[in-house]
Amino acid sequence: MKKIITALLSIAALNSVSVTADTLDDVADRGTLRCGVVLDFPPIGYRDANNEPAGFDVDYCNDLAKSLEVDVQIMPLTWSERLPVIATGRADVVFGGTSDSLARARTVGFSIPYAIYYSQGVVNSKSNITSIDDIRGKRVAAALGTLPEQEWLKIAAKWGEENLYQSYQSENEVFLAVAQGKADIGLTTNTAIKPITQQYANLEAGPRMPWVADYTSIVGKRQDVTWLNYLNLFVTHQVRSGRYQELWGKYVGGDAPDLRIPGVMY
Amino acid sequence: MFDYNFHWRPVLKSLPDLIQAGLVTLEIASLAMFLGVVIGLCLALMRMNMTGPLKWFAVTWIEIARNTPALFQLFFFGFGLGAFGINLSPFVIILTGLSFNCAGYLAENFRGGFQAIPVMQINSARCLGMNSWQAYTRIVIPQVLRIVYYPITNQMVWAVLMSSLGMLIGFKELSGETQFFASKTFRVFEYFAVAAVIYYVIVKIVLGASRLLAMRLFRY
Repeated sequence: MKKIITALLSIAALNSVSVTADTLDDVADRGTLRCGVVLDFPPIGYRDANNEPAGFDVDYCNDLAKSLEVDVQIMPLTWSERLPVIATGRADVVFGGTSDSLARARTVGFSIPYAIYYSQGVVNSKSNITSIDDIRGKRVAAALGTLPEQEWLKIAAKWGEENLYQSYQSENEVFLAVAQGKADIGLTTNTAIKPITQQYANLEAGPRMPWVADYTSIVGKRQDVTWLNYLNLFVTHQVRSGRYQELWGKYVGGDAPDLRIPGVMY
Repeated sequence: MFDYNFHWRPVLKSLPDLIQAGLVTLEIASLAMFLGVVIGLCLALMRMNMTGPLKWFAVTWIEIARNTPALFQLFFFGFGLGAFGINLSPFVIILTGLSFNCAGYLAENFRGGFQAIPVMQINSARCLGMNSWQAYTRIVIPQVLRIVYYPITNQMVWAVLMSSLGMLIGFKELSGETQFFASKTFRVFEYFAVAAVIYYVIVKIVLGASRLLAMRLFRY
């Protein structure tokens, strides 16, 4: 009887171990990191000439897997899939230019910022938009659910020009809309300007938007503090080792932006 | 493993905006159906009674509308025409796309309705001294409308549900508004669950209204 009780207790203990296991343990046991990336965001995430995932975020996935000594499985995502893959456990982590808003932080866990972007417009060369004031009365487009959209709608409401705003499912459609003349300016991030203006002859860089910088973080499960701690340390190591600057220089060019706000301990 | 705690309060706070977007959905579906019925009736008559370019035009319309995805049709009116410098507003694109598609399906429903009316009835009407227009408008079309009434109702439900494609071309109806809030807060499941309930209620209202109308129209 004593042996049976001991055996049952052992099984219960094993079960409790598996229940409390976190993503860090799961990834190590599985031997594969399931890493979600948005490939609609060149040069941060895109498909190269061989149709393979490439970009800053993809290299960050590879680096994270390397730090964990596991293989990597790149999961291409749309903007709206970034949460569901985490909530349903289909991905361990998402690198996807995800702005660390407080509203979102009630749903998913964010690491410390790993990249910073500024919002900028891509304009149709016929639009004559060179400053933020030139946008009055013009048609504006942005990708649905992005920070530029949310920030622009505040300005549009102030100007009474919400009816001139158009939202699209992806940034590709935003740029296509501007190139075709459906919209006068498309809102995106500063990093996307160069590849897009190279792709379309009638598009050029527009004005920088007046709102604050877009701090983006790695996304993991909100409840999984151990995993988020690991991701924080990973970001710190990327900066400390010079890898952050190396990849930023490779994909975006120039000096990588400082990830800390002066005077703030994140 | 599904690891998610539901938060309903933010969704309920946004409920007035979602209901307003639901009304936009109903409005665009109703407009598309009105145009679809008018154009579909014309296409059916052209296909059955005309020859040459008019018949060819009707057949081409119906074949494309019924045999290609509605999403492609919408993208054609949006980005396809845009490539040729024809830029329509998101409202016009969704209205044109839905009407084009509805008209294609309804034309075939009308054709089936017309074929269900015995030719003898037209002949009898003509024998009574009616001209062709009178025979069609007073004898045939009222009966056809009665036959195709329920398929039209079905198409209206389809139009309500397919209007959700509007968010792909920048038209903010119920699905677009839902995704806007879901992206802002990442509360995807709650927002889409509430949107699904609103769609369900809209469809039930459409079906209820069509039944009431049927009781009024088909009393005798």
